[in-house]
Amino acid sequence: MEFKDYYKILSVAEDADSKAIKTAYRKLARKYHPDVSGHQEAEDKFKEVTEAYEVLKDPEKRAQYDEFRKYGQPSSGREDGRYRSRQFEGDSSGFSGFSDFFSSIFGGAGPSGRPQGQSYGFTSQQAFDQRGQDIETDMPIFLEDTLTDTTKTLSYQLPHREADGHTREINRTLNVKIPAGVANGERIRLKGQGGQGIGSAPNGDLYLRIRLVPHPLFDVEAHNLIITVPLAPWEAALGASIEVPTLTGKIKLTIPANSQTGQRLRIKGKGLVRKQGHGDLYAVLKVVMPDTADDQIKTQWQQLADSAAFDPRKEWRK
Amino acid sequence: MESQYFNFQELCTITALPSQTIIEIVDHGIIEPEGSDPESWLFNTRMVSVTRKAIRLHNDLEIEWSGIALAISLLEELEEVRHENQQLKAQLNRFIVG
Repeated sequence: MEFKDYYKILSVAEDADSKAIKTAYRKLARKYHPDVSGHQEAEDKFKEVTEAYEVLKDPEKRAQYDEFRKYGQPSSGREDGRYRSRQFEGDSSGFSGFSDFFSSIFGGAGPSGRPQGQSYGFTSQQAFDQRGQDIETDMPIFLEDTLTDTTKTLSYQLPHREADGHTREINRTLNVKIPAGVANGERIRLKGQGGQGIGSAPNGDLYLRIRLVPHPLFDVEAHNLIITVPLAPWEAALGASIEVPTLTGKIKLTIPANSQTGQRLRIKGKGLVRKQGHGDLYAVLKVVMPDTADDQIKTQWQQLADSAAFDPRKEWRK
Repeated sequence: MESQYFNFQELCTITALPSQTIIEIVDHGIIEPEGSDPESWLFNTRMVSVTRKAIRLHNDLEIEWSGIALAISLLEELEEVRHENQQLKAQLNRFIVG
């Protein structure tokens, strides 16, 4: 079990007064709040900061902690059950949002006023007849799979209340129907597939957060798709008829003569599925040069340069 | 698939919040249900998650509702901008690489 230096976590001095501790906590809580922060480890950091504050804001807990910090263990003679949880250490840790270290000093109870559990922020306080916990989980979907209704197999973890009253994580697998036209960030609710209700209360729900998996060829803009189309300089100059991949196959595309890099050509109806109809596919043109040129090619470029009389930087000379 | 909409009572139940709190959240425009009065309000799944976020911010950071309304709209804007930035970077990458 790792020792936690709560003073260091809050970046306060050992003799900091309660006001300084509160200010430090507020600042860090704002910084690492999982709803605010983009940090990957924000949730762990936030829990750590909250745990530190839970101890240091309370004079009694703080004194106990200081003693532990100084002597490596709390003072003896505690027979009142305050440290009872030590005997149940293994059991209590899954229950409290706080660390084993916290539980070993203060018991298994979590902080007041903050729901505990694996799924951050959802209700799971113990009471009779309590609705089960709602679970929110990411559902990665390939772009191709959004075109029609599709069934996906989903595995997720669920807190399960055992007969002995303890809560453990169990794995569950579910076949889920994903409707055509789902968008990134959309949430799908599966009623009753969340945590088990207590007593006669219903189960919680499962929320799937749709995440569109990045595609090697296509970018997504709302319901439109974008594909970057490399063109040879002569194709851009003379125009061409080329084949462009779509999500479901290929399509012929006419490149007009004198096309420019960055120019967008709209291919109607070949985007993602909408609730009604389809989005479009946009081909963005990108003129690319061949890697190498032999002497003959160089001569031909030179002839072109001589006859074209093209100044691409004439704007600079105004 | 299950219904993706909730009425007022259902939202209170699934968020375990008193009705007064939901009314406050709606009054501050943090979520904007369809329908003009509590009896006809309809909330979608996104509003459920926004409500939960609002409650977490309210409890964890001790922010009052008007502050939460501001924070949530800025967070949404930030998320949109980040998303757009990611899209533009991906597109730019296709343009300058290879």
